[in-house]
Amino acid sequence: METPNKGGTEHPISIIRNQAYEIFAGMGFEIVAGPELENEWYCFDALNMPKDHPSRDMQDTFWIKMSPDEIQKAQSAERSTRPVMRTQVTATTIRSLEKAQKEGRTSAAFISVGKVYRNEATDATHEAQFFQMDGSMIGENVTLAHLKGVLMAFYKKVLGEDSEVEIRPSFFPFVEPGIEIHAKFNGRWLEMGGGGMIHPTVLKNAGYDPEKIQGFAFGVGLDRIPIVKWGITDIRYLYQGDLRLNQF
Amino acid sequence: MKISYNWLKWYVPEVVVANKLADVFTYHLCEVESVETMLDGDTIFDLNILPNRAHDLLSHQGVARELSGQLGIKFQDPTSLYKIPASTPTKLAVDIQTPNCRRYMARIVRGVKIGPSPEWVVKHLASIGQRSINNVVDATNIVLFDCGQPTHAFDAKKLFSEKIVVRQANEDETMTTLDDKHVTLKPTDMVIADESEVLALAGVKGGTNAEVDDEHTTDIVLEVANFDPVSVRKTARRLNILTDAAKRFENDLSPEHCAYAMRELSATILEMCPDAKFEDVVDVYPKPQEPRTLTFSLLDVNKKLGSNLSIGEVEAILHRYGYQFTREPWAGEKGEGITLVVPALRLDLIGPHDMVEEIGRIYGYENIAPVIPTVAHAPKENAQYVQMCAARDRMLADGYSEVMTYAFTKKGGVEVARGAKGKEFLRTNLSDGLKTAYELNRLNAPLLGHDDTKIFEIGSVFPSLDGEEMHIAYADKKGVVESTLEAFTRELPLAPSTHVSESQKNGAKKFTPWSQYPFITRDVAVWVPLGTESTELTTLCKKQGTELLALEPRLFDQFTKGDKTSFAVRLVFQSHAKTLTDDEISPIMNAISSAIKDKGWEAR
Repeated sequence: METPNKGGTEHPISIIRNQAYEIFAGMGFEIVAGPELENEWYCFDALNMPKDHPSRDMQDTFWIKMSPDEIQKAQSAERSTRPVMRTQVTATTIRSLEKAQKEGRTSAAFISVGKVYRNEATDATHEAQFFQMDGSMIGENVTLAHLKGVLMAFYKKVLGEDSEVEIRPSFFPFVEPGIEIHAKFNGRWLEMGGGGMIHPTVLKNAGYDPEKIQGFAFGVGLDRIPIVKWGITDIRYLYQGDLRLNQF
Repeated sequence: MKISYNWLKWYVPEVVVANKLADVFTYHLCEVESVETMLDGDTIFDLNILPNRAHDLLSHQGVARELSGQLGIKFQDPTSLYKIPASTPTKLAVDIQTPNCRRYMARIVRGVKIGPSPEWVVKHLASIGQRSINNVVDATNIVLFDCGQPTHAFDAKKLFSEKIVVRQANEDETMTTLDDKHVTLKPTDMVIADESEVLALAGVKGGTNAEVDDEHTTDIVLEVANFDPVSVRKTARRLNILTDAAKRFENDLSPEHCAYAMRELSATILEMCPDAKFEDVVDVYPKPQEPRTLTFSLLDVNKKLGSNLSIGEVEAILHRYGYQFTREPWAGEKGEGITLVVPALRLDLIGPHDMVEEIGRIYGYENIAPVIPTVAHAPKENAQYVQMCAARDRMLADGYSEVMTYAFTKKGGVEVARGAKGKEFLRTNLSDGLKTAYELNRLNAPLLGHDDTKIFEIGSVFPSLDGEEMHIAYADKKGVVESTLEAFTRELPLAPSTHVSESQKNGAKKFTPWSQYPFITRDVAVWVPLGTESTELTTLCKKQGTELLALEPRLFDQFTKGDKTSFAVRLVFQSHAKTLTDDEISPIMNAISSAIKDKGWEAR
């Protein structure tokens, strides 16, 4: 007699992703997806991260291997086509904003969960691939107070009503004011990600007039949530294909 | 950057006690990486100064000025405290031959005695982890960490003539840096030279050709200059020489700061060498930084922050920070407005959005009340997510469990630069990773409490540069099947676009880490009287199984013959500390056997 495998088990990231999508869809956010193999324009340039600027040091990037001639050719286009593994889902946010502008929309809200890549040494808290959630909302009167509101609503739903959220000053080239998002869970403050009001240059790159349209954007580590919520001890467990992970 | 509390007190004597300062930094300025209390009572803060404030905050003065504004306390301007040395005319010449040098100030100081530094210098440098070298070098370092301006000293007698040339390097020109690194230069590198050879990599590192040394140096040339950030950055990166000076220049400093730094450096050297003879400062500054003003409105601030600040509150903040400003006479749609003079060092303040951030962080984001936005439109569904949900639902219902594997692999169609060994390429399929995962989980099946391993993955594959595609693959004992997500879901009913698992409500559940050691399985088969519950046997095994029992005993076989039933139970043993052997398992199995005998049952 074989013991049948009655319903399959779910990966923790999927559980949190689906929950995040449900919460944000409930607040009017539209789910969007974009390529993981991005180009330099959407991953960096459009996000107000100029070449040779120290702000690019904040991320270790997986560039696609190319000859110097090929790189030069890709970068000589008005919008660089040099391929890169996206370092942030914000690349998808700017693509979505650009599309919304082309469709003539003056208000929109997007949410996207996806894989991002960073070329760094891996250990229990660092992985070369991980999931990020990026959200944005634009309109004539979208404010930082709204960003604070949606983040609080999200973390309270996903981590529990007794969790708290705080925003602290920070810097990311694609926003100003720039903020860092911290959540308090089981009595400890944990850094969750960053965000702020979309930088006028980024709005312009999406085709919007920053005098008329404003909005917020944020990017948070999605892996952080199951790790914190359920106490998963090693981020590398998430991508080893080991079913012993699926405990939830 | 390491910041000493005692050093800050030079400038803000009224600053709050050290243990209250960390919160001021965290909520109004930047992240505090660490706080360390020293034996001498000083406190050292390691501040993660944000890139947009690296122009003015990578220094004690900068941080003190910020605290003075934040806390509304006096900032003690040090300028008047420095003794200005009397100076005599000079023959020193400076020739800037490259647009990458925006200002170059230099002066000769003769009759300098190189030696140890005064105690306060050694102590200040030590407090932030810097080693004392000699008085002149220490003076340049004090200035660097005090006001943020890198400076340099050359041995004047080692120069070919009393002429400094700032130029781009010639192809294949070479030099040896102060840390004895021999480097070959390119025309993209800016250098400080005399009329014969290279003396320093501009803004990056000094060279041995005009090094100040303890035994011979008596006359020095002081350099206080400003260099193009991109040029400095490229040279520092290319040669992998990452110095405190390069870090400041690559973040762009104001050339206006040079004059103050020259004054501080001269006064510090005068204090160390009271008999030294100072010559006049040579200052070549081709295009002085233009004074700037910036206009913003109260509406700009409140509309972005969602705050309700009054013009008076905004003015109070600007007063505290010592901004020079005037109220704009215009009113109406944009509300009240303010025009301020941008301080020379604040290269980050460009437009109204910069003032929104400035006001917001000083006011404090904790004072902004959260608001849930009301959205009029219903969000559109996302086709790919709908497909993903439908495919997952089908796989889960059919008993397949979800895994995620790595996107990097050892061969494929798209290669990443600087990838880890064996992970240089992007995967072209899910099947290869899934086969490995299947094998791992098949071997672990006893641990997972089932016999038939069935897994699936949904993820992107990258067969070519423009061929990224979302695939689904599933594996079971028959093999692996893979297709595009789109093709797989063509025949499926499409689920609503959000599908939340019941298990999310299980928030209190905690992750159980697994052991890295192998497991051992043992089967127990027993005849029991008809009517005996199988749980009697599993409970007995659990009781005797000790903490080495890795999961609940699992009934895998049962049949009845006459008045007897046969139960077979599988036990899985595993330790978190070591590889188990028969020595550990045999006593447990013996204990189970005798407990079975005690019940009057019969082992098969």
